[in-house]
Amino acid sequence: MGTNQPFVIYPARRVITINPAFPFGEAVAVAGNRILGVGTTDELASWGEHRIDDCFANHVIMPGFIEAHCHVMSGGLWNSTYVGYFDRRDPQGLLWPGCTSIDDVLERLAKAAADMSDDSQTLLAWGLDPIYFPGERLVARHLDTVTGDRPTLILHASGHLATINSALMERCGIDETATSPGVARGGDGLPNGELHEPAGMMLAGEAFADMMKANRSEQARWRYANEARNAGHTLLTDLGTTQLWDPEQLGNWKKVTSGPAYPARVMVAMSNLFGATADPAELAELCVKLKSEQTDKLRFGIVKLILDGSIQGFTARISWPHYYKPPPGHIGNGMWLTAPDQMADLVEPYHRAGLTVHCHCNGDEATEAFVEAVEQVLERYPRWDHRHTVQHCQLTTPDQYRRMAALGMCANIFSNHIYYWGDQHRDVTVGPERAARMDACGTALASGVSFSIHSDSPITPLGHLHTAWCAVNRVTASGQVLGPDERIGVPDALRAITIEAARQIKMDAEIGSIEAGKLADFAVLEDNPLTVDPMALRDIGVWGTVLGGVLQPAQISDA
Amino acid sequence: MNAHTIAVTVVGGYLGAGKTTLVNHVLRSTDERIAVIVNDFGEISIDEDLIVAADSDKLTLANGCICCTLADGFAAALMQIRSAGTLPQRLLIEASGVADPAQIAAYGHTPGLRLDAVVVMADAEQVRRQANDRWVADTVRMQLAAADLLVVNKIDLLDDADKADELCDWLAGLSTGATIVRASRAAVPIDVLLGPRSASDAVDTHERPAPERAAAPGWHVVADLFESQTVVLDAPVPKPVIEALLADLPDGVARLKGLVQAAPAAGASDTTATEAADATAYLIEAVGKRTSMTPYATDPTQPPPRWAISLISHKGSLAPDWLESRLHERN
Ligand SMILES: [Zn+2]
Ligand SMILES: [Zn+2]
Repeated sequence: MGTNQPFVIYPARRVITINPAFPFGEAVAVAGNRILGVGTTDELASWGEHRIDDCFANHVIMPGFIEAHCHVMSGGLWNSTYVGYFDRRDPQGLLWPGCTSIDDVLERLAKAAADMSDDSQTLLAWGLDPIYFPGERLVARHLDTVTGDRPTLILHASGHLATINSALMERCGIDETATSPGVARGGDGLPNGELHEPAGMMLAGEAFADMMKANRSEQARWRYANEARNAGHTLLTDLGTTQLWDPEQLGNWKKVTSGPAYPARVMVAMSNLFGATADPAELAELCVKLKSEQTDKLRFGIVKLILDGSIQGFTARISWPHYYKPPPGHIGNGMWLTAPDQMADLVEPYHRAGLTVHCHCNGDEATEAFVEAVEQVLERYPRWDHRHTVQHCQLTTPDQYRRMAALGMCANIFSNHIYYWGDQHRDVTVGPERAARMDACGTALASGVSFSIHSDSPITPLGHLHTAWCAVNRVTASGQVLGPDERIGVPDALRAITIEAARQIKMDAEIGSIEAGKLADFAVLEDNPLTVDPMALRDIGVWGTVLGGVLQPAQISDA
Repeated sequence: MNAHTIAVTVVGGYLGAGKTTLVNHVLRSTDERIAVIVNDFGEISIDEDLIVAADSDKLTLANGCICCTLADGFAAALMQIRSAGTLPQRLLIEASGVADPAQIAAYGHTPGLRLDAVVVMADAEQVRRQANDRWVADTVRMQLAAADLLVVNKIDLLDDADKADELCDWLAGLSTGATIVRASRAAVPIDVLLGPRSASDAVDTHERPAPERAAAPGWHVVADLFESQTVVLDAPVPKPVIEALLADLPDGVARLKGLVQAAPAAGASDTTATEAADATAYLIEAVGKRTSMTPYATDPTQPPPRWAISLISHKGSLAPDWLESRLHERN
């Protein structure tokens, strides 16, 4: 007899366990924060004193979804007004329809400005993606018509640009005398309100700084987890956006995750992004120390590195023939954010400390550099089961997948790109052939590489049913199928968003499937992903989650 | 712009080219108050004897300024520099080994700052290989093209002078008009790196007494590869003369810096007091192909600054009175 404590049996329409040895059940039993077992109600009842809770009788229970690549600003950005092109639900569950024209953007801003009581307060917005408004460019002149004297700043979806209005330009002293190349100019030669790259955006002063600071707050962390719960996620990975050596940021993570109410587990990656100059050996040591102090909800043990930029920004490192139709003035390839020659030395201290290295590689040249670095490090310090992971892995080639399989590396594939930018990749960035083999879940599967798929929220919205839908259907925003031969089946996609994601953050012994002894983390769904039309996968309703045995109903409000 | 504008020097170049050595060399070779921002992973490698205190997020340097990182972005680093220690006269930004120095240089246009020069280091032994490397060739070439001052470092590792000449010719082909300087252990003459000394003294008269080693007008030898000349101006110079000077500098000029009063039109030869009052003050600078003419606000409560132009040229490339005659022939 394994349990002395009373337990709860949740009969369900179906329990999908993602455990190949016991794939389905009629009910799941939860004792405290753990799974007592899965099977029929009678089988589970035989464990002893229990209570039956029928609240999920009409629902399908799956292992809680695990996002192995997103960022805490996913919560922080909601302090600002959303003006992105696609519909997006905020952490309070409110749906923000996409702004599909410049007029929509202006209307949204006008409303946000009208709702603000303090006249001097800056209006902050985010998510603008000019790639969807070819031809016309939203500039200060447009903003002025709806924001008047109120300083206004819109951070673009890329994170590399901001557009501000004339009031904010005036406040920050940005005028015709500006010499910075980060200040864009219109046809009349005057600054048009667009600020490029950090050197330009910092000229917006506090407005930009405030937006970034919001990501460090407790509120951002709550919103981050609320959004997860609403989408059926029980674990989020903050992949390299927390400076763990900063007591305030670490303290806020500890504080929010300490109570039972916080609706997600969080894996916080160690990172030396954003120019931190700490010695990697010291960061490795700190990460090992944090791991020894981790709790059920706050986890450590992975490291984020970054090699290149983004494909849609033409900054990813892509091997010859490089970009298909780059913008005028763009020369050749993208850029390195870390020197490829330096990579092995950078990976080594983390590798030796027993940590798992996750490296951002959008282009295939970046993947090549990372795989080679892992080969070198393994030669110096052989180590089994490291699970070093290629993150984004968007243009990874079949030969690279074979090498990754041989080395024991994992892939986390940016499947959401197919929907959100697939049309642009085919027509502009890499051209039809390479777009068809981007985000190659099919090849990963065939090569025997363990892979997950991700949203990179806030870059694209968090929600594994949508991400799985992308991997299964490979349908772009315009409704075309991009590379049908790389599609995977629903069962493989469901593994990718649960057990395989857990595996690459080394938590597959605890979460990722519904098995006796694992943590009771479930996604509770309104329908069965294995039986719906694959094109309807993303439309399945989410009741909420169960996190460590605690019911976490989603908050969806349709205003 | 005023006397408190902070000059910005960007130090770029691929891994191992000697950027850190150069930063240490600069800190050691001048009494200018210099703050340092580093952007690379790995430890900040300022020499220990140049550091008086070390914090978790910054170092206090012997010159009273600090060295910090871009961990929280440039704005935060600048705030840290302005609020800690002594206000610097110059900001040295060490770019990462793969960064485009031209992008880092964009920070030099932040209000209160003035981009002085982009210095790019090249490893004499490695740069050719790097510029043809399968992965970083384009990165290295982009860096070389961004230079105003291209330092061919570790030149002593080359077997002979012919090889050095050939390398410098090849680098000149990749650069866009940079001044090319050969060095070992990054020991570039400090006046070449930061601008002619006598002229910077003129700029800083409000802030500190002129140091003893202020150059006398006329001929002056800077290390053994360069020489300098200074013209002290006792009257405003017609603006077109200054513009023509900057627009058409001979290749031998490595650096030019001056504080001038520009008269609105030609005819400064018989300058009257009224014309002097009408004249506008400018800080003029040239390094590589980069030239600038920045309005300079004089402080009426202070004694007038020293009006002068200095230039540094490759030894033997210019006549000792070139600048003097250039300013006169146009008058
Ligand atoms: Zn990334
Ligand atoms: Zn990311």
